[in-house]
Amino acid sequence: MNGPNHFEGKDPLEHVIEARRKGKLAASEIHGEELSGHYSAAGSAAKETAIIILILLALTNTISPYLLLSFLFGLLIWKTSSSAILGWRRLERLHRLIEEERWEIEHHRPQEREELTALYAAKGFSGKQLEEVIDVLMADDNRLLQIMLEEELGLNLEAFEHPLKQAVGAAMGVIGASALLVFGLSFLPYWGALLCGLFVIAVAAGFTAHLEKNRPLSAIIWNIAAAMLASGCAYFLGQLFYP
Amino acid sequence: MAYLFDEFFASGAEESVSPFLTPQSRSWGENLSLKSAFGAACFLILAFGFSFTHPPLSNLFLSLVYFLAGVPALIAAFNDLKNLEINIDVLMTLAAFLAVLIGSGLEGALLLVLFELSHGMEDSVSRKARSALHNLNNLAPKFAHAIDRDGIVFEKAVREIQTGTHLLIKQGEIVPLDGTVIEGTSSVNLVHLTGESTPNLKIPGDLLPAGARNLESALTMEVTRTSSDSTLTRIIQLITAAQEAKPRVQRWLDQFGKTYASTIIGLTALFALLLPWILSIPYLGIEGSVYRALAFMIAASPCALIIATPTAYLSAISACAKKGILLKGGIILDALASVTQIAFDKTGTLTTGHLECTAIESLTNSLLPLDTALAIAAALERQVVHPIATAICNLAADKKIALPEIKQFKTVPGYGLEGVLANGTAVAIGLPEHIAAKLNHKLPITKNAGQVLTLLLIGSDLFALRFSDQIRPKMDEFLRKIEQINGLTPLMLTGDHEQNANHVANLLGIQQIHANLRPEDKLAKVAELAEHGGLAMVGDGINDAPALARATVGISMGRIGSATAVDASDVVLLNDDLAQLNWLFLKAKMTKRIVGQNIGLALAVICLATTPALLGLIPLWLAVVLHEGGTVLVGLNSLRLLK
Repeated sequence: MNGPNHFEGKDPLEHVIEARRKGKLAASEIHGEELSGHYSAAGSAAKETAIIILILLALTNTISPYLLLSFLFGLLIWKTSSSAILGWRRLERLHRLIEEERWEIEHHRPQEREELTALYAAKGFSGKQLEEVIDVLMADDNRLLQIMLEEELGLNLEAFEHPLKQAVGAAMGVIGASALLVFGLSFLPYWGALLCGLFVIAVAAGFTAHLEKNRPLSAIIWNIAAAMLASGCAYFLGQLFYP
Repeated sequence: MAYLFDEFFASGAEESVSPFLTPQSRSWGENLSLKSAFGAACFLILAFGFSFTHPPLSNLFLSLVYFLAGVPALIAAFNDLKNLEINIDVLMTLAAFLAVLIGSGLEGALLLVLFELSHGMEDSVSRKARSALHNLNNLAPKFAHAIDRDGIVFEKAVREIQTGTHLLIKQGEIVPLDGTVIEGTSSVNLVHLTGESTPNLKIPGDLLPAGARNLESALTMEVTRTSSDSTLTRIIQLITAAQEAKPRVQRWLDQFGKTYASTIIGLTALFALLLPWILSIPYLGIEGSVYRALAFMIAASPCALIIATPTAYLSAISACAKKGILLKGGIILDALASVTQIAFDKTGTLTTGHLECTAIESLTNSLLPLDTALAIAAALERQVVHPIATAICNLAADKKIALPEIKQFKTVPGYGLEGVLANGTAVAIGLPEHIAAKLNHKLPITKNAGQVLTLLLIGSDLFALRFSDQIRPKMDEFLRKIEQINGLTPLMLTGDHEQNANHVANLLGIQQIHANLRPEDKLAKVAELAEHGGLAMVGDGINDAPALARATVGISMGRIGSATAVDASDVVLLNDDLAQLNWLFLKAKMTKRIVGQNIGLALAVICLATTPALLGLIPLWLAVVLHEGGTVLVGLNSLRLLK
């Protein structure tokens, strides 16, 4: 893998930073909104809408279209606003971290220098070369803050969508899933909704797996299986309590 | 590319510049409160429309209004209450939410939308006007080019540089720390520090202040002061201290608002508790005391009161913006209205700050026409970037003089320029001592106060070119008007010599002059003067910035002013046109008057219309007409300020 392609036009240091970033992202657990972006918000919201409706249909033999529409409208508002609120909470946390790091750089400069020395010593720098690298990195506070955020804290700059954009993604997910489910329900009252629901889950799971660079096929199968298990369990428990 | 965090921190961690958001999605965070207010206003219109046909749909849209406009108001009100502050915002929010309890959700929603709209507009205007304070730090270089024992040049953080370190100052760079020149010769100017564009020659052994810009060739200096006590840091510290010491101008309306809100809330509680004892009515129910007390509270929070101030300030700010005057918030208008004295910096404020070539004269009774001498001077000077060079080239361009060709051109850094004409005549231009050294004799020339002199040698013919900073046009007329129309006393605060200051003051008819002032002296003088009445300070250099920050109102020049002066000031004249100040002071006084009229009108609506209606003294329809009419009148009255 050595050669010009390995660094993809970046210098070795940038390459190491990029590699660490990818490693952190790959290692983080993906749970719905934890994956940033409006596309993933849309996928996650569509999947949740579909599974909620499937469970609802599993528990009630018939559901009035108006009742369903009212329910879906409420769900739309909740998913949209909660997606935005989660996004803002994350942004608030990140902004707090950046303020704290800036304070550290301003008030604990020798310690920050030690941290940076340790980081770059681990990369193989030593002696006068290490001193020079640290001097250059410490020379510009702006650059130092970026390095500490990325290397010490493992944060990704310019990586998140605005909470409102994410919320719009979630809203699109709910609207898309709802439209398909209502369409299915109006043509084939029971099976139509089930098939459309599973279709929504499959598409959303495949799409988010593609975004995460995971294998779409296994993601689709696992998600459909989990959705069928969830609605099946609810259906059978319903039959148990209300035979 | 490294992300610039300064703007983010200076903005108070605004999400529209958040380093964590993708550049494409940052625009979603711009003017959020205003966008949310407009959204709420649309939902309110829908809620009102559907209230006649589909009440449940009307309630649905009303819920959205309360969510979008009510939640931010509620959070702000709780924060005020947490700080034990009861103000007009708390009253409005309380009234809007309690309106739901007595079935007046639409009225409550209207209060919230107007409340959110006025706050959103104020935020938006203030954000636009507030220049990012990061310029203050941008001015001070963050890193310098240090030279180690082996002669290797490397970047080092300014704050880590110790005294005795050798630094390389390249051409065009700002000197990062105070020090002494140890190698090289060049001119530097202090235009960023003092507004003075006249270049100063620096040779080995000369002191070099932090903040000076190196104009010509590289200099090597030895640091004599660390960043914690350098000239530039000291000025920045002075600005910060001055901003903290500045007496907070409080909107005269704020105190009224607090008293009013506390009284209304107190009366509401009193009515709810005592009315059953006085009027023999129950506590609860539509005829109960709680219902009546809540109705009283809502009636005492009319729309006219909410829009009374923001519409007036916004109209005035908008009118100022059209004239090229930037106000950093509506509160500045109150401060302007209280000003009784106005202090001016000299260089760059009362004068243009740029050198102009005022005279060319032959010192050897040369037969060569003066225009030919000017053409040769311009031909030499067009090859360099220098304030004197600019002045000569500008004059030659104004006279539309063709420039001869110069061969064997060479610069003598800090001293002058040399070359040879096509006919083989040697020519040189530069400092008198440089030219005198070439002629090997002393020159019998004198220069007046505030004048810069350059000599031009063409073969054996010697010419003198005189330069000086010029007084801005129509300044005397402006100063006369500011005294006569606005009743303000003009004074001059300058770091320049007393002789130069007196010369300019005499020409302009300024009586009070304070010269030889360092930045800290200017600050102390401004603080002293501000104690005897509102003081406006007009300036443009970094040395003015502490005084601008401390004055009742700091006014800076947008075009020629240093970024630091612009940051530290409250008003920025984008066109550098001081004559607009007369109009601005009149506008500020008019704004104060109109706000007073608006408050009076709003209170009249409460006293004459709403409360009598609650007591059944006038019919409800008439109360509604008077209520809405009052709101419209207040709005229209404010719009007068747009002119």
